[in-house]
Amino acid sequence: MAERAIGTDISPPDLHAKITGRARYAEDFHAEGMAFAKLLLSPMPHARVRSVDTSRAEAMEGVLGILRASELPRPEQGTREGALSDEPLYEGAPILAVAAVDETTAAAAVEAIRVDLEPLPFVLDPLDSLRESGPNARTDGNVPGEDGPTSLKWPDSVFDEAGPDRLPMGEPTAEWAIGDVDAAFGEADVIVEETIVHQSVTHHPMEPRSCMAYWQNGKLFLHGSTQSTERTRGPVAAMAGIDVEDVVMIGEYCGGGFGSKISGVPIMAVPAVLSRKIGRPVMLRITRYEENYIGRARAGFQGWAKIGFRSDGRMTALDLYLVQDSGAYGASDFFTAGTVATASYQPENMRFRGVPVYTNTPPRSAQRAPGGAQIVAMLEPVVDKAARELGVDRLEIRKINAPGHDGWLGPNQGPFTSAYVREALDLGGELFDWEARSQLSGRREGTRVTGVGMGLSPFTAGSNGRDGLLVIRPDGKLHVHQGIGNLGTHSIADTARAASDVLDLDWDDVVVVWGDTSKHLPFSTVQAGSQTTHAHTRANHAAGEAMVGLLQELAALELGGSATDYRVADGRVFRAGNRAAGLSFAQAAERAIARGGKFSGGEIPEDLHDVTKGAVAGLAGEGLIAAAKDNYGQPGAVFTWVATFAQVELDVETGEVEIVDLASTTDCGTVIHPRSLAAQTNGGVFQGIGMAKSQRWVFDPQWGIPFTKRFYTARPPGILDVPLSPRFAAVNEPDPHTPVGAKGIGEPPVGAGEAAYACAVADAMGGLCLCRTPLTSDMILAELEGRPRPYGLLDTHV
Amino acid sequence: MAVIRDMIPPFELYQPAGVDDAVRLMEQYGDEGWVLAGGLDTFDWFKDRIKRPAAVIDLAAVDEIRGIAEGGDGGLDIGAMTSLTAVAEHADVQSRYPLLAEAAGLVATPQIRNQGTLGGNIVQDTRCWYYRSGWPCYRAGGNICYASTRRAMNREHCIMGADRCVAVNPSDTAPALVALDAEMVVASSSGERTYAAADFFIGPDIDIERMTVLEPGDLLTRIVLPAPREGARWYFEKIRDRKSWDFSLVTVASMLQVQGGVIQDARVVVNSIAPYPVRMGAVEAAIRGREPSDETGQMAGEIAVEGARALRHNDYKIALTRNLVKRSIRDAA
Amino acid sequence: MEFLRRALNPWGEDVPIGVSWDLIWAAVIIGAVFVVVHALMVPKKVATGEIDESEAEGLPEKLQRHTVGARGFHWSMSATMFALLITAFFPVIGIQFPWVTIHWIAGVLLILTVIYHIYHVFAKQDFWTMWIDRRDVEEGKLGLKAALGRSVERPRAGKYPVDQKMFHHVAMIATLGAVVTGVLMMFRVDNFLLPMNTYMFSDATWGWVYVIHGVCGIGLIFLVIAHVYFAIRPEKRWMTWSMINGWIDRNRYLENHDPARWTVDGGSQTAEAEGD
Repeated sequence: MAERAIGTDISPPDLHAKITGRARYAEDFHAEGMAFAKLLLSPMPHARVRSVDTSRAEAMEGVLGILRASELPRPEQGTREGALSDEPLYEGAPILAVAAVDETTAAAAVEAIRVDLEPLPFVLDPLDSLRESGPNARTDGNVPGEDGPTSLKWPDSVFDEAGPDRLPMGEPTAEWAIGDVDAAFGEADVIVEETIVHQSVTHHPMEPRSCMAYWQNGKLFLHGSTQSTERTRGPVAAMAGIDVEDVVMIGEYCGGGFGSKISGVPIMAVPAVLSRKIGRPVMLRITRYEENYIGRARAGFQGWAKIGFRSDGRMTALDLYLVQDSGAYGASDFFTAGTVATASYQPENMRFRGVPVYTNTPPRSAQRAPGGAQIVAMLEPVVDKAARELGVDRLEIRKINAPGHDGWLGPNQGPFTSAYVREALDLGGELFDWEARSQLSGRREGTRVTGVGMGLSPFTAGSNGRDGLLVIRPDGKLHVHQGIGNLGTHSIADTARAASDVLDLDWDDVVVVWGDTSKHLPFSTVQAGSQTTHAHTRANHAAGEAMVGLLQELAALELGGSATDYRVADGRVFRAGNRAAGLSFAQAAERAIARGGKFSGGEIPEDLHDVTKGAVAGLAGEGLIAAAKDNYGQPGAVFTWVATFAQVELDVETGEVEIVDLASTTDCGTVIHPRSLAAQTNGGVFQGIGMAKSQRWVFDPQWGIPFTKRFYTARPPGILDVPLSPRFAAVNEPDPHTPVGAKGIGEPPVGAGEAAYACAVADAMGGLCLCRTPLTSDMILAELEGRPRPYGLLDTHV
Repeated sequence: MAVIRDMIPPFELYQPAGVDDAVRLMEQYGDEGWVLAGGLDTFDWFKDRIKRPAAVIDLAAVDEIRGIAEGGDGGLDIGAMTSLTAVAEHADVQSRYPLLAEAAGLVATPQIRNQGTLGGNIVQDTRCWYYRSGWPCYRAGGNICYASTRRAMNREHCIMGADRCVAVNPSDTAPALVALDAEMVVASSSGERTYAAADFFIGPDIDIERMTVLEPGDLLTRIVLPAPREGARWYFEKIRDRKSWDFSLVTVASMLQVQGGVIQDARVVVNSIAPYPVRMGAVEAAIRGREPSDETGQMAGEIAVEGARALRHNDYKIALTRNLVKRSIRDAA
Repeated sequence: MEFLRRALNPWGEDVPIGVSWDLIWAAVIIGAVFVVVHALMVPKKVATGEIDESEAEGLPEKLQRHTVGARGFHWSMSATMFALLITAFFPVIGIQFPWVTIHWIAGVLLILTVIYHIYHVFAKQDFWTMWIDRRDVEEGKLGLKAALGRSVERPRAGKYPVDQKMFHHVAMIATLGAVVTGVLMMFRVDNFLLPMNTYMFSDATWGWVYVIHGVCGIGLIFLVIAHVYFAIRPEKRWMTWSMINGWIDRNRYLENHDPARWTVDGGSQTAEAEGD
C-alpha cells in the first residue's frame, strides 16, 4: 500500500524553483524583438481627457506605438473597467500606453506626452457623496441601480441627526430581514450599539501584475500573473476581441493575488492589443507604484451595529447598516458581510441594510474574505462588549451562538454541509489555555497591560461541478492536469493528492501539470472564494475513480476476467489477491494508446465542460486518459471557520501593542497538508493583524491622491510584528458531503486575526471598543491619555 | 507634460576613490551633482524622477571614510561610509556607546542596515509624503506647505520647530549622536570644517530646503565621538508602527551623568517631532541636581512639551514625547 | 532668464509659483546702472541764488515742509521697508537666518504705517498736493530737457516736485501690491492674526499672488536704490534734511517752489513747525 498522501506534509513540486530563484514569473520572460510598454497614469482623481498631444513622443527614436482607450476591443462600458480610460475615475488610472524599444525610451516618451485634462468633481468618502450637495464619483451616479449607476442622496437632516461620530442612515439600496429585530430588541436583556468602521486597503502582492504578450499565427500568447490559469483565458480573449481558443495563457507562478488576480486583470489588455498593433512582443512591467493603483483593494465600510442578547448570551437581534466604499467600479463585499455575520452568530432576528457608494479611489476586488474579514473584525469587539455586560465568558458567548450542523446561512437561511465550529472553539480554548489566559486580562507590569481576545471568522470554502483530468503516460507516472493556478497556496499539488489516494499511488509517481493552457488543462474553478481545495479534491477524486474504472476495465480486457476482479494500488492494476497478475501503469498506458477509444481520449464523457473536452482531445493517444466531472452533489453551503486567540501587551505610555501569543484553530474539514494549512492560516491571521494594526491607505482629501504607495508607507506587517511561533491546530473532521472531506482555508483566517487583535486590545483598554480598523498606536494613546482623537470615528483613509 | 514614476532616468556615474576626488567632482557639478552613499534615500528620489541630477558621485569606493577607528582623547572616529550594521555590531561601539549601537540597530531592516551608511542616515532627507511625492512645497522650492493645511494627513509631522514646513527629521542615529555630543567632520574644496552634532541640523526657519548645514560641495566624512563619560546612563527608544522597516513616530535619546544618586549633567534629545533633532535644553537644566526618579521624569516630560503645538492629526505626539522623555529619565540605565 | 518660477501642481498642471529670483539681481543691476548713468550724465544743479526778494516778504526763515506725522510715517515706512527687503531677499541670496516672523511682523507694521498715512493724508493734509496736474507735466517736460542739457528755464514746483510725485506713485503701487498680496500670504504662514487657509485660492491664483508680491518686492529694491541715491545727492540733501527736521529755509523755498502753487502762511508755519 502506498502511503496515503492526504494528511501528510510534502514538498510541493514548485518549491525548489522558488527557493533557488529559477521560478520564472511573468516579467522574467523574453521574446524575440520584444518591446517594452509604459503607462501614462491620470494625475487627477476624476477627469476627462480633452486632448492628447503625442507628437513629441512619436518623434522620439525608439518609440514604436501608442495605445489609447478607444483602440481596446471592449472599451470601458458602464461600470465595466477598461485597461485604459479617457475618463479616469481615480488618480493613477491608466490613460494610455507607449511601446518603445526599451523602458527608458518608453518612460521618456510618456513624459513627453501632453494630456489636456478637464478636472471633474471627485469624492473619497462615501458619506460625502450621499450628502445632498456632495459630488458623485462617476458622471452617471454614485450607487449601483438597476440599469447602471444612479444618484442617491440623503437629506441633510439624516446627517444632522447622526452627528459626527454616528453613521447617518438614510435610504439603503439593499435590505433584508429575518424575523422582527425591533420586537426582539424590545425583549433583549442587553443591547449594545456601536459605530463600526473598516478601512480599505490595497492588496500589495509581492509580484505586481506585469504581463508580456505576443502573437503567433493568430494566437495570443500571454505570460501573466494570475490566480486561475485556465479561467483567465476567457477574460483575456474578451480583452483582445478574439475567441477563447486563440488564447494561450502561461502563468506557472503567481507571486500573490489575495483575490486581486482571480481570472486575469484588466491591464493584460495593454500588452495583448499593443503587441498586435505594433507587430512585436510587448512586455509591460508593472511597478510597485503602479501596482498601488491598478492592483485592486478591499472595499471599506462605515457602519453601525445594534445587537440584542438574552441573559444567557444568545444573540436575539442583530441590526446592521453598512455604507461601502466601492471604489470607482463597484464591489459586493457589503452584501457578503451581512451573510457572513449569520454564519458567526445565527441571530434569531436580523436586519441588514447597506449602500455601496462609488468613490474616486482605485478599483476594488475580492481581497481574502471580501466582506467577511471586515464584518468579523468590526463585530467581534462589539460582541465582547456585550459579553462583559452579560457576565458571560467571551469564548462561551461564541459557542452559544455558533452554528452546529443544523445551522443556517444568510437571508435564505440555507443549510451548511458541515459545521464543527464549537469543536474548533473548544480546541482553540485548549490550545491557547483560554481559561487561564483570560485571567491575565488587565494585568499590569510596569507600563504594560495585558489583554486577551479572540475572534471567530467564517467564510465560504468550496464549490462543485468542476472537471478532473488525469493521464497515465508510458512513463508510468500519473499526470494530474490542473487548470487552477499556482498562487502560492500549494493547491496545485494538494488537490492532486485526491487522485493519487484514490489510485493508492505513491506521491513520487505523481506529476502535476499546470501553468500553461497549451498543456491541455481541464475546466476549473476560478481560484477564489477558497473554493479550490474543496472543488478540486472533488474533481480529482472523480477523475481518480474514473481512472480506477478504466484501469480495471483495461486489465480485464487485457488479462481476462471482469473489471471488478481487479484492484489498483502502488502503480499497478492487478487481480485481487494476486499482485503479480496485472499491469504496471506504464504497461497500462501503452495498452491504452494501442486500444484508443475511451482509454486514450477517443471517447469523451458528455458531461464534461467544453474546455475539458478540448483538453482531452488534445491529449488523445498520449496515454491512459481519465476525465470526469465532479457530480458528487453539494447539499448546502460549504463554510470554514477559523478561531484565533491573541494575548497582547499594551504599553500605556506609548500606545504600542505587542502580540505576545497567537493560537488559531479551524474547522476546514479533512486536513490535506498540515504544514501548508498552518502556513495558510497563520499567513491569513498576520494579514488580518496588519489591517487591524499598522496597514493604512491614506489619501490627501484636498487632491484625492494616495500617499501609501510604497511598502514602507502602507505598512503591511513584518514578521517581527507577530509572535515567531504562532500555534495552530485543526479539528480535522471530514465534511460528510465531499468525498475527501476537505474544505478551503484561504480566507477566514484574515478576519480571525483582525478580530483577535482588536478584541485583545479592547481588553487591555478595560473593554473600551473603538471598533474600527486600523487601530494604530496614536489612536490608542489618545484614548488612554484622554486627548483629542486623531481622527473622527467615521473617518476613513487615515 | 505627463508625470511618470518608478523609472530611474539616466545619469553620469562617477566612482571616485578618495575624498579629494569626490569633493572635486562635487564642486565641478555643484547643484547638478548628487552624492550617493548607501542609496536608500537616493533611489527613492531617482525612481520617482523627482531629483534628476546630471552626475551621481558614488562614494562606494572611498575607503578612507569607511570603518571605525580609535580617535584622539579616548573617543572613536567613524567614517561616514561605515554601514549601519558595522556601527551597530562593532564591539567598541556596543561597549562604549551602546546608545549609538542601539540607534543604528533599530534602523529599518537588516538588509537596509547592511547597505545604508551612518553618514547617509544622518544627512537623509525628510520623509514628509507631500514632499516625497514631488509636490511643489516650500521644501521643494514652492510656496506652500501641503502638510499643514486644515485637512492634511499629518500624523507623522511636527509638533515643534515648524516654520512654514512641518516635516520632521527621520534619522534614528541623529538624536543619539547629538546626545553623545559627537562632532561632524565636513570636507569641501575649501578644506575641512567641524560641527557639533547639535549644530549640524538646521530647521526650515534657516533654510527650508535643507535638513543640515551641508551645502552643495560639502561632504560629511567622519563622525567623531568624544571619550565616553564615566558613570553615564543612557536611554534610547524609537516608537514606530511596525517593528521593522519603519521610520519613527517619536524617538528619544538621552545621556545622564548620575553621581551619588543625583543627575549631574544630562543631554536629552528627541527626534521626529521637529525638522531637526530637538535638544531639550530646558529639561536638561531642570533635572540637574535631582534624582532620576519617576517624579523627575514626570516633570521633565511636562517641560519637554511646553510650547508644542499639534497639527490636525498629530496631537498624540505631544503625549508620546512627554512620556518618552519621562521614561528616558526614569528608566535610563 | 525666466521671468517666472513654475512647477507642476499635484494634479500635474503647470502653475506659476513665484517670480524668478534672478530678477533680484536684475533690479540691483538696473538700479546700479541708473545711479551710475545719472551720476555721470546729470550735472549737479547749482543753486542760482537768485531770489525774488519781494516774494520773501512776510515769510519766516524756516518753512515747514513735513509735519512730525509725515516724517514719522516716512521713517517708519523706510525702517519697515528695509526690514522687509532684507528679510525677503538676504536669505534668497545665501545670507540665511530665521526671517519669516520678522518679515510678517515688519509687514504688519508697514500696513499700520500705510493706514496711518492714508488717514493723515485725508484728514490732516491736502490730498491734492501729491496729485500730478497739467503744470506738473509741463514741469516734468522742462525738467527732462534741462536734465538733457538744454537751456531752459525750469519752472518752480508746487510742494512736491514732479519727480518726487512720480516716485511716490510708483512706490505706492509697489507697496500696495506687496501689502495686499502679503496680507493674503499671511493665510499661508502660522501667525496669530489670521487663520491658516492654505487653499483659499486655487494654486494658480496663489501663484500669481506670489508673483505679484515678488514683482513688487523686487521693484521696491530698485525704487529704494533710486530713492537713497537721490536722498544723498548734494543738490537734494536739503530735501533729505527737511525729512529729518521738518523745515526748509526760505531761500530753498523760493528757489524751488512756486509760492503760487504751494502757499505757505508764514506766521503759523513757524509756530507749528514742531507740531502736528
